[in-house]
Amino acid sequence: MWKYLIPLALLASPASAQEGPFSEGSEARSWNLAWEEPARFEATVVDMLCEVVGDCANECGAGRQLGLLRAADGVLTYPNKNNQGIFTGAAVDVAPFCGMEVEVDGLMIEDEFVGATNVYLVQMIREVGAEEWVAANGWTDAWAEEFPEAAAQDGRWYRNDPRVLGLIESRGYLGTGETWQEAWEITR
Amino acid sequence: MRFWLTAALCVAGVPAFAQGEEVTLRGELIDTWCYFSGVMGGPDAVQGTAHHTCAIWCSAGGIPVGLLAEDGTVYMILSINGDDQNAGGQSQLDLAAHEVTAAGRVFARDGLNYLVIDEIVEDHGITNITHSDFGVVPGFAIPNPEG
Repeated sequence: MWKYLIPLALLASPASAQEGPFSEGSEARSWNLAWEEPARFEATVVDMLCEVVGDCANECGAGRQLGLLRAADGVLTYPNKNNQGIFTGAAVDVAPFCGMEVEVDGLMIEDEFVGATNVYLVQMIREVGAEEWVAANGWTDAWAEEFPEAAAQDGRWYRNDPRVLGLIESRGYLGTGETWQEAWEITR
Repeated sequence: MRFWLTAALCVAGVPAFAQGEEVTLRGELIDTWCYFSGVMGGPDAVQGTAHHTCAIWCSAGGIPVGLLAEDGTVYMILSINGDDQNAGGQSQLDLAAHEVTAAGRVFARDGLNYLVIDEIVEDHGITNITHSDFGVVPGFAIPNPEG
């Protein structure tokens, strides 16, 4: 009987976060993602187009993606996501540190099946040597500053963003022209 | 001889960026966080019409956009037709969930592929009909029209 119960018990156990090569000392909060690894490391913040392609004319300019050139091994990691759970990237939070040496804490995604490696969710960032961490929660504040009228509306940013609303108005929620009512009904 | 030696040393001393491999690729512009992390479900569920609204949200929110090629390879898009606004920019937002044929250059770095799109050769539109299999992802992407 035990031979049946033990595998069932293992299946029922919550998966513990996988440890990775940079997990030591990390205080990152789990997102319960299948392939997340807590990761705290030091890095230089670089402009992606400049670092990868050599297009440095607008290095660290607004609206450009930034990378983390890891100090320990020189690997370029890509901070895809900030600490907010609402469809927001990391560039706004990392931008104040562009060109600087920083320490970051967050989650690394390593999933060979989909080709994910060195993909990072940054939760906290600070300049090397600084005491205080900065939480990577700045995207919505920056958005509210850019779109104050939309930010004054009730609801989440993505329900009020004028660019998002314009695209949904022209294409529909599914992108193929159905009305709101039609899209709702065929996806129930 | 001295001239050529000096010239060679000068060339060697200039930071060298690879020119990239010239490619023409066909694929869908996807939200890479949902695809890579699995936060919304499996990779098939975060493509096409099922994930169209979420792809718009994530692109507008500054999450890196990728091109999911026909062979399943993901290319992280760094620029489109010279537009370097790769964190929330309008060029990539307008193409969210679209299938395109793109000519450009690929740069491989530390396990990821990066793509500079020099030209959108053809915009095929939104062709990947996935909502019939997955509904809408995430489930709240379409608010109830009845309120």
